Formats: sequence, structure tokens, C-alpha cells
Amino acid sequence: MKPISRREFVALTTAVPFAVPAILQSRAAPTAQEVVDRIKQRLGIEWKADGVDTFKAGDPMTPVKGIATSAMATLDVLKQAVKAGANFVITCEPTFYSRSDAAAPGGGRRGGPAAPDAVFTAKNEFIKGNQLVVWRFSDHWRQRTPDPLSIGLADTLGWGKLRAADDRRRIAIPATALEALVSDLKKKLNSRGGIRVIGDPRLRVATIGLLPGTTPVQSALSLFPLVDGIIAGEVREWETVELARDKVTAGERKSLILLGRVVSENPGMNECAKWLKDIAPEVRTTWIPVADPYWRPA
Amino acid sequence: MRALTAGEVISRMKSNLGIPWRDTTYRDTFKFGGPDTEVRGIATAMFCTFDIVKRAAEAGYNMILPHEVTYWNDRDDTSIVSSDPLFKTKVDFMREHNIVIFRVHDHMHSQRPDFLYVGLARALGLDGKYETAPESHRFVIPEITLGALASDFQKRVGGRAVRVVGDPNAKVRRLQLGVGYATPSVNSPDVDVVVSGEQQETDGGFDSPEYVLDAVSLGIVKGWIMLGHAISEEQGMLEMAQWVKSFTPEVPVQLIRGGEPFWTPK
Repeated sequence: MKPISRREFVALTTAVPFAVPAILQSRAAPTAQEVVDRIKQRLGIEWKADGVDTFKAGDPMTPVKGIATSAMATLDVLKQAVKAGANFVITCEPTFYSRSDAAAPGGGRRGGPAAPDAVFTAKNEFIKGNQLVVWRFSDHWRQRTPDPLSIGLADTLGWGKLRAADDRRRIAIPATALEALVSDLKKKLNSRGGIRVIGDPRLRVATIGLLPGTTPVQSALSLFPLVDGIIAGEVREWETVELARDKVTAGERKSLILLGRVVSENPGMNECAKWLKDIAPEVRTTWIPVADPYWRPA
Repeated sequence: MRALTAGEVISRMKSNLGIPWRDTTYRDTFKFGGPDTEVRGIATAMFCTFDIVKRAAEAGYNMILPHEVTYWNDRDDTSIVSSDPLFKTKVDFMREHNIVIFRVHDHMHSQRPDFLYVGLARALGLDGKYETAPESHRFVIPEITLGALASDFQKRVGGRAVRVVGDPNAKVRRLQLGVGYATPSVNSPDVDVVVSGEQQETDGGFDSPEYVLDAVSLGIVKGWIMLGHAISEEQGMLEMAQWVKSFTPEVPVQLIRGGEPFWTPK
């Protein structure tokens, strides 16, 4: 059968709006590339081609049957995507275990070729076997204002309406003891063992700053004066953790809650799924949360 | 007898190191005070937290040799942090107590043995007889489950926030030890478990947590035990203190521990 171009298809559907044959309805599905083009157009952020937001696996010309968003395209997430009828996976973090996202392990020592790696191989085969397309959406997604990762996190924690209007970085919450706040966070984010805390467990916390993802000490330095507690994804121990410890030692009433990077980004990719419903209305978009990778020993 | 100065301590350290001193280091330099400060006692420490500085001053150890930073960033660049009042509080305290700080990082890792690995292996009970080759930091131990191993390690180092990725019931034998942020990749075929301090979760040179999650999905044995940066490197600062004592007999030398920084929810 001769493929029908998009323009011809639009003409057809315009002419007969109420009688689109099923075969043509399936044609309505955009390709992964088309979805990405729409994202670039609608995002409102100048697109930088040299970043990490590129296709990582599969053919961008694949017609999209369904979209899955996730904080990280683990094999488990890919399996859930397939179950949900999605063949286009949009991930915030890498697929192939490094920033470079190379689909094969790096070279061996002394420049030799790397040995075949069963995990890389199985992941590639799963993607190929299910004709998945994987695209990373990280740098540009978090550049939106207000930051959708913080919006998603605040909503998940039930603070969506409590945002201070004057400064979005500062959320006023009903005053809570740090220990109770952390227990509540753990439940709401389905955290297993990834949460770690600095600060007096009895500290009354009434203002919160959110730093989802990974952030340098500069972010914490600018936020700490505004809030009683920072809820962050991942920071360096020699930076923000030491800073928080020193603030506590100096008698400042401050606290730092680390969620883990991926867990902190889960709600932001739910936001992404919601946003995509208007971008790609022809297909279903499903958010797939990544389970907390960490557990704590007994 | 002439008083021992901080400059003399560093000079002796350089001549006892066994490797040439690299002046290009931005890490291993004075962070507060200078070579002329008279030294009454020397404290080694992992992070140079305000708490450690206070406890060192209280105990009469006015020279601190920390492995990590004083001003909350790797370069100890004070321009990043000086607008926070805490910076002035910490610096004022150090001035009032005649504190001198010299960071020992790069040269500790170049020195043989690297005390950080020696100390961590000792603290974890990883006997030298299990190491596959000297300085390989690779250990083959009697088979144990990942859960039992992590539990044992957490108890030994007094951790409260050890984090593990992997199947708790997986039986493991082959360990690769890392310290601090020098965490080895977990995908080496002859390694079951990586034990280290800290590593970024994703988006690095190699992201072990995601790899372990996928390995578990495939039934491949892999585990990743993160002790925490402070916990993993504090142990070897004991060996460091003993070594410094060997060439500064005039003054007391002691490790001041910061311990586990974190608590975790139930």
C-alpha cells in the first residue's frame, strides 16, 4: 500500500471528519520524531542540540502507539511501558548507565575492546525486540519556569496550593517536627531506604525549599536563608551535607533531607506525562515511577 | 627547644611521604593559618566540619589535617561561600583559637599504601588474606548474602544510613572496595559487589545503581553498598594519625571522629 503523507492525511480527515476508516485512524499516530518536534516547539525554551536530550535507542521514525514517561529508563520501567502499550519512552535520566548513554560498555583497560556485557546486551535486545524508541528529556524539561520537577514534588507532597506567591522557592507548610515530616515524605514518595536527614529531629519546620535532581552547594547557599529545611534529591557530601552539619553546629535552626536523585525526579516526570497529553493527544501517555533503588541493611 | 611550627610538620610530611610532592595540587594546601603557626597538637579528621574544629580546639589540638574540605566546596574557594554568615562564624572561631588547617587529600591517595583503603578494610574486617593482590582492593570472601554483608558492615563502622542496591538474598563473594567518591564501576565481570562511600546516582561516567537494578531484573548477581563518604574515609585517618605521630614526636596526634552524619526515618 502506498503510504499516505501527513498533508494528504490532513486533507482526507478534513474532507470526511466523521468517517475516518480505522486504517487511517492508525495513521494519525505521530512518529517519535514528530512528538519531539512538537515538544521543542511548545516548550518555550531555546533548544540546545549539544546537550543530553537526544534519542538513545530505536528509530525516531517509528509511529508512536503510546508514550511512557519515567525518571529513569530501567529495564523494569521499559517492561512496564510495554505492558501499558507504550513504544516511546521519555526518560529524565540515562538508559545505558552513563551520561554518554553509549549502548555498549566503554573500552577495556589499555584501549582494548570491552568484553560483551550481559546487562547491556539484554537491554538492547529488549528495546529491539519490542521496537521501543527511547528519548532523554532532562536539561530542557527542568529549565521551564516554574520548574516542573519542583511543581510535581510539591503536588505529590500535598503542598501544591501552599506555595508562597512572592517567592516560588519557598513553601510555607503547617509547622511540623522534622521527624514527623520525614516519615510523611517517606510514605508519600514510596521511599524504601534512600532518605537521609541532617538536623534535629524535633526541629519545627514551617518553610521548605525544594531542590529535586542533583544540585551544587551554590543552590543550598542561596536557599538556606529563606527556609527551615531543604528537601533535595542528591547533593555532594563534601558540599551541602557538610554545610548543613555546620549550620546545625552553629545553632542555626536548619535541616536537610536527601531523597535520592531518581526518587526526587519521579513526580516531575508525572508532570511531564500530564503536559504531553496536549502535545500528543492522539496517543495515551503513561507515567511510570521508578521504585526507590535503595534499601537499608537490618 | 624550638617550638614546632605548622610549616615544619608539612615539611616533615613531604620528606616522609615516599613520593615527590606535587605543587600543582589545589587541594593539599593551607586552608586557614599558615606555616608559622606554633603547633601544640595535631588532629587528623575526615571532613573539617565546624564541630571537628571546635572539638580539636577544646582538646588543645590546634593543627588540623583533614582529608576533605573546610569551606563546603572542593577548591575551598571562599568567594562562593563568604556571603553566608556561617563562613565568618567558622573563620572567627578558628582565628580566636589559633587554628591552622592543612588539607591532605591528593597525596594520601598517591601514597603507598593509601591509608584510606587500609583503614576501611581494617574497619570492615576485610582481612588481608582475602585480598586478591596487594593494593588491588579486590577481596574474595566466604560466600554471604548481600543483606547479611551490608548488615555486618553497617555495624562495624557504626553507620546509620548505609544504602544498598541489589537483591538482599543474592549470594556474593567477590568485593571491590572503593573509598570516598572514588567508587569503582560495578560492571566488572569478576565483581559481585562494590563497597564504597559516595557516588552520583546517575549521569556520570558509569551509573552503578541503574546497572544493578537492571542486573537484578535479569537475575545477574550484582550489589552496591554505599557506606557514605564520611564513614568510608574516616577510618583511614586513624592510620594517617599514626603515621604523622611517627615524625612529630614532640606533640600529641589524634584522629577526631565526626561519625555518621545522617539519620534515617523508620
